[in-house]
Amino acid sequence: MPSSAPSLVGPADDLTTEPAPQEGRRPRRIRHTPRSTLTRGAGLSLGIAMIWFSLLVLLPLAAIVAAAAEGGWSNYFHVVRDGQTWAAVTLTVTQAALVTVLNIVVGTIIAWVLVRDRFPGKALLDVIIDVPFALPTVVAGLVLLSLYGPKSPIGVHWAFTVKGVFLAFAFVTLPFIVRTVQPVLEELDVDVEEAAASLGASRGTILRRILLPALVPAIAAGAALSFARAISEYGSLVLLSGNRPFQTEVVSVRVLSFIENGSKASAAAVASLMLFVALVVIVGLDIVQRVVARRG
Amino acid sequence: MSIQVSNVTKTYGDFVALDDVSVTIPTGQLTALLGPSGGGKSTLLRVIAGLDSADTGAVSIEGNDATKLPPQKRNVGFVFQHYAVFKHMSVAKNVAFGLEIRHRSKAEVKQRVGELLELVHLSQFANRMPSQLSGGQRQRMALARALAVEPKVLLLDEPFGALDAKVRKELRDWLRRLHDEVHVTTVFVTHDQEEALEVADEIVVINQGRVEQIGAPDQLYDAPANDFVMGFLGEVTRLDGTLLRPHDVEVRTSPVSADSVEGTISRVLRVGFEVRLTVLTDAGEEVAVEMTRTNARSLGLTEGTTVWLNAAPGATTV
Repeated sequence: MPSSAPSLVGPADDLTTEPAPQEGRRPRRIRHTPRSTLTRGAGLSLGIAMIWFSLLVLLPLAAIVAAAAEGGWSNYFHVVRDGQTWAAVTLTVTQAALVTVLNIVVGTIIAWVLVRDRFPGKALLDVIIDVPFALPTVVAGLVLLSLYGPKSPIGVHWAFTVKGVFLAFAFVTLPFIVRTVQPVLEELDVDVEEAAASLGASRGTILRRILLPALVPAIAAGAALSFARAISEYGSLVLLSGNRPFQTEVVSVRVLSFIENGSKASAAAVASLMLFVALVVIVGLDIVQRVVARRG
Repeated sequence: MSIQVSNVTKTYGDFVALDDVSVTIPTGQLTALLGPSGGGKSTLLRVIAGLDSADTGAVSIEGNDATKLPPQKRNVGFVFQHYAVFKHMSVAKNVAFGLEIRHRSKAEVKQRVGELLELVHLSQFANRMPSQLSGGQRQRMALARALAVEPKVLLLDEPFGALDAKVRKELRDWLRRLHDEVHVTTVFVTHDQEEALEVADEIVVINQGRVEQIGAPDQLYDAPANDFVMGFLGEVTRLDGTLLRPHDVEVRTSPVSADSVEGTISRVLRVGFEVRLTVLTDAGEEVAVEMTRTNARSLGLTEGTTVWLNAAPGATTV
């Protein structure tokens, strides 16, 4: 301990009987931890995990990229230059982005209501949130079509329009941010907000400086899931969007039609393009999350 | 008078947390709100801070009516049992929070944070994250954060309740010295009578939503207003119908006066320097007695010994 206020000198000067946790990155010092801490059991688990992940994810993905690369750059160029494909890609990415923005706001609000408020039917709402997860996506399309389709009982005719695409995306991605934010919000103690309030922070300041930095990692994780789910959506759209080229045709439908027409190389090219988009968004959200969480 | 609580009542459904409580807390002193869990002392503290609102009654802080003021406008520092740290901010940023939202200049914030961290002995931890601090260090950080805005009163809700016994004792001594240095009117809630007796200038004993007694520690200990206060401030036992402390019971192996109570030792428990006896009197009362080991040995007390008990002269009784 450095020298302290003179009148406080005493045994309490060494208020250090309690060992402070020593890990952490702030005080930079040389670490002597080995690069790997794997025991035999842990090594086996890691091996199983990697084999499983490779079989299911890495190898198939590599195969797609390889298939796409077979045609060389000209194949990519050709596919992207195709107006109908490009329209499908931009429609999918734009609508997925819009839906993700909507989910960030609405999902966070729903999570807040579910955690912080008490009202009749709360437990029911908490369960119903997961319905879009549970429904087969074609059924989701059917559900939406019955309310917003040509025979809409409320007079909203959004089927076969871009709004229909948005609606389908919104439906299937609704739970993601709710479910990622909810546990984090439950962990947040109300006394932290009270502490900020008694220090003079207004509701807005508490939200901006205390709550959001704590929630942003969860929101970003949910947003990444939500976006990824949206750009890959197929089932709920086939009924609702009508798959009209240049208007409501999304990437997954486009890929399917490539395959049906026997043009596997084009399908692979579009698939790897979407893989790239998904990677960019996931990495981007991770960076945002790290920056915001650190700044506070 | 710094804090004036007048006729405050607060209920949660059927539960009456505060029942027409009036307390005056003097300026510059360290006051303890002492009582059992669920007795209403934390609620009273939260009502003073504005974190809970009273159903009826009034709170004034330094002569200004604060009954309707939100916590932001009361200028009180509040320290929570579980620290309530801002986890995503460094120690320095936590302490700076109140100053930053008041838009103080960077230089001023930096200087003030430096002073406060010095005061709570955390200077070398300024850039750490709260998760890298021990519980005691976190609580000192929370205290510095509360003091940063120069509050008129400092309120601590079971501040050492989540810490282990040794750290708790250290911090208790340290809080006393800190208070002697800073002189801010301080109110802390505790259910630990030893903590209250040791640290506080004045103790308010609260039980079942009511104030049982207000006074200096010695006053409460020597002249408890009722059975509850007597019992809450230390061990008690009953001898011949009178409530008194076990160490105020004198034990002899022969009767000294007509009012000596005869009994048989039914249990002997030795704890360090102390011997605790249970004496079964002929009238069927179980009396607890505490004495030093030396004393017990010189009298040759063992289970089954017949003894005569008297209240020591000058003992506090109710």
